[in-house]
Amino acid sequence: MGRLSLGHGSGGRLTNDLIKEIASTFARGSGMLEFEDCALLPGGWGVTIDGFTVSPLSFPGGDIGKLAICGSVNDLAVRGVRPLWLAMSLLAEEGLDEEELLVYMRSAASVCAELGVQLVAGDTKVLPRGEADRLYITTCAMGKNEAISPWGIKEVSPGDAIIVSGPVGRHGAVIASLRYDIKLRELESDCAPLWPLIEPLTRLRGVHAARDCTRGGLGTVLCEWAEGANVGIEIDEEAIPADGDVSAVSDILGFDPLYLACEGTAVFAIASERAETVLETLCSHPIGRSAAVIGKVTEAHPGLVGLRTAAGGMRVVDMQGGELLPRIC
Amino acid sequence: MPQVGDLRAKMSSLLEALDKWLCRPITVMEVCGTHTVSIFRSGIRTMLPEGVRLLSGPGCPVCVTDQAEVDAMVRLAKRPGVVLATYGDMVRVPGSCGSLAEARASGAEVAVVSSAIQALALAGSIQDKEIVFAGIGFETTAPATAVLLREARSKNVKNLSVLSLHKLVPPVLRLLASDPMLNIDGFLLPGHVSTIIGTAPYAFLVEEYGKACAVAGFEPLDIMAGIVEIARQICEGRPAVRRLYGRVVRYEGNVKAQELLEEVFRPASVRWRGIGLVEASGLVLADDYSDFDAYSRFGITLEEVSPPAGCRCGDVLAGRITPPECPLFGRSCTPQFPVGPCMVSSEGSCSAYYRYSSKGVSPWGA
Repeated sequence: MGRLSLGHGSGGRLTNDLIKEIASTFARGSGMLEFEDCALLPGGWGVTIDGFTVSPLSFPGGDIGKLAICGSVNDLAVRGVRPLWLAMSLLAEEGLDEEELLVYMRSAASVCAELGVQLVAGDTKVLPRGEADRLYITTCAMGKNEAISPWGIKEVSPGDAIIVSGPVGRHGAVIASLRYDIKLRELESDCAPLWPLIEPLTRLRGVHAARDCTRGGLGTVLCEWAEGANVGIEIDEEAIPADGDVSAVSDILGFDPLYLACEGTAVFAIASERAETVLETLCSHPIGRSAAVIGKVTEAHPGLVGLRTAAGGMRVVDMQGGELLPRIC
Repeated sequence: MPQVGDLRAKMSSLLEALDKWLCRPITVMEVCGTHTVSIFRSGIRTMLPEGVRLLSGPGCPVCVTDQAEVDAMVRLAKRPGVVLATYGDMVRVPGSCGSLAEARASGAEVAVVSSAIQALALAGSIQDKEIVFAGIGFETTAPATAVLLREARSKNVKNLSVLSLHKLVPPVLRLLASDPMLNIDGFLLPGHVSTIIGTAPYAFLVEEYGKACAVAGFEPLDIMAGIVEIARQICEGRPAVRRLYGRVVRYEGNVKAQELLEEVFRPASVRWRGIGLVEASGLVLADDYSDFDAYSRFGITLEEVSPPAGCRCGDVLAGRITPPECPLFGRSCTPQFPVGPCMVSSEGSCSAYYRYSSKGVSPWGA
């Protein structure tokens, strides 16, 4: 065992390996560690927890406060869980401007108000200057499962249509552009709560799985599905909704948009006969208006994700390996 | 950017042209790492007819950085009072005693920059430390290092120096062109290096070695057009250096950048990973800039160091083997735990094979 590297926090394969190591030190509970975005508890409750360390704290399209709520409630939403309650812990650095802190809290509160989520518990610590970078937020969200059928990796089946709710990689591209000082006027993070988009799907049949494509991006989620459900996945580059500015940032920095983080964009595996209904439902919501079917689940090449490139060739989509960009969420 | 449907149609017509011009099996080396990645990302290998063999060349700046050079960077980073600044991919390349990333995890100060000039800002904001910029890359990144040095000198910055590890493309091409084992028929030449040096420095490839050459851009269509052009030259028996990247590359190149390089650097024989010492293939600081030379400021000499046991990055870089033929590939050497630089760098051919063709055993071929 070596030392932790930033790659262990990148959301890709190293992160997965580390999580499995950590989980193995705990006694396995009643099916609670499913390596899904949130845990489904007896009684139809869902719970999740997430830490936010994004740098810079404020970015086009959001800030750490909005992100800290969206990140957690989206992890509930993608399993069909309506977010209801929130616990929040703040680690702040000595010297942080109190008004600035309140700006972040107000943007967090506004997302909670929009969703009808109540803040019910919290903790605040201040660390000596230099022992934290301004502000870290951890949120734990809890809610009620409303999906009429179970959503999860295990349900992903050959024949399913893969649908993505919008252009991928916008959050990662915004943070990268700020970090590397690349100025793009139009580009905004997609940071947004997904529950309003997803809620209507909880009443539909044929939804097999959903994920928000956070760290590791769309590519990593699809790899996890292919490996976790032992199925093949084939997607068409031509069909993936793209954002010109994301492509520009990716070209400049050598990133692949498939691996750039989203914070308000989800991918779905839908039984083929229900795909059209789901797509219509998604497209009728503002943040899902460019939703598109991007591919399908196959019996062939289990464990592998293949991409039909824009040029017409085929290539494999592998899980992101090491550090892409630290402190993105 | 062309529309996608349009792109597929144009690709098919280029493939038809390739069929027409392919009179015999040909071996083409794509010299540049950016080409390698674009070829994999666009799946070009899965579209090519059997008679076209593509070899990946030594055009990934991180990959050709010699083990001794990596060691020198790590040693410098570990020195108290030094902040080592370099480009991102370099950070994970393992040296004899760990990588810069490992040194950083143990407390060494390593700053990742996306352009050389950021080192100047670092020197301004961390005045009580020595900032060492490790300049890596070819004729494309060397001008940025030259600008940094010029600025540092005009502003009389005392706490900044440059460890120049820059390398030049034409000298190593001569070595590859003359290697009878490789049997390269044509070179797909790097577009961005050529924007700086122009096309004249490649003339020897045609005149002395009779190789077909196309300077191509990095979009899939540019690359495919380059391959068709090379096939045509071979079929007609008329090798030449053809500029397909005419919208960016001029015959004379970027004269201003060339003058800048001449002012700040002088050529020197340097070691390439796995390839060895190549005459006049590197850039060291010119005498006028010796005050900023990290080699003399910190008393660094580069000793010959053996690469990690079993690592065949050198053979991969010289096109002698493909990545899956290396015994470490996909076993003890993966993008998560790379042994050699070709697996570390996003432009490395091992990493491209691993990521885009499922460890070299893709169900879609290539």
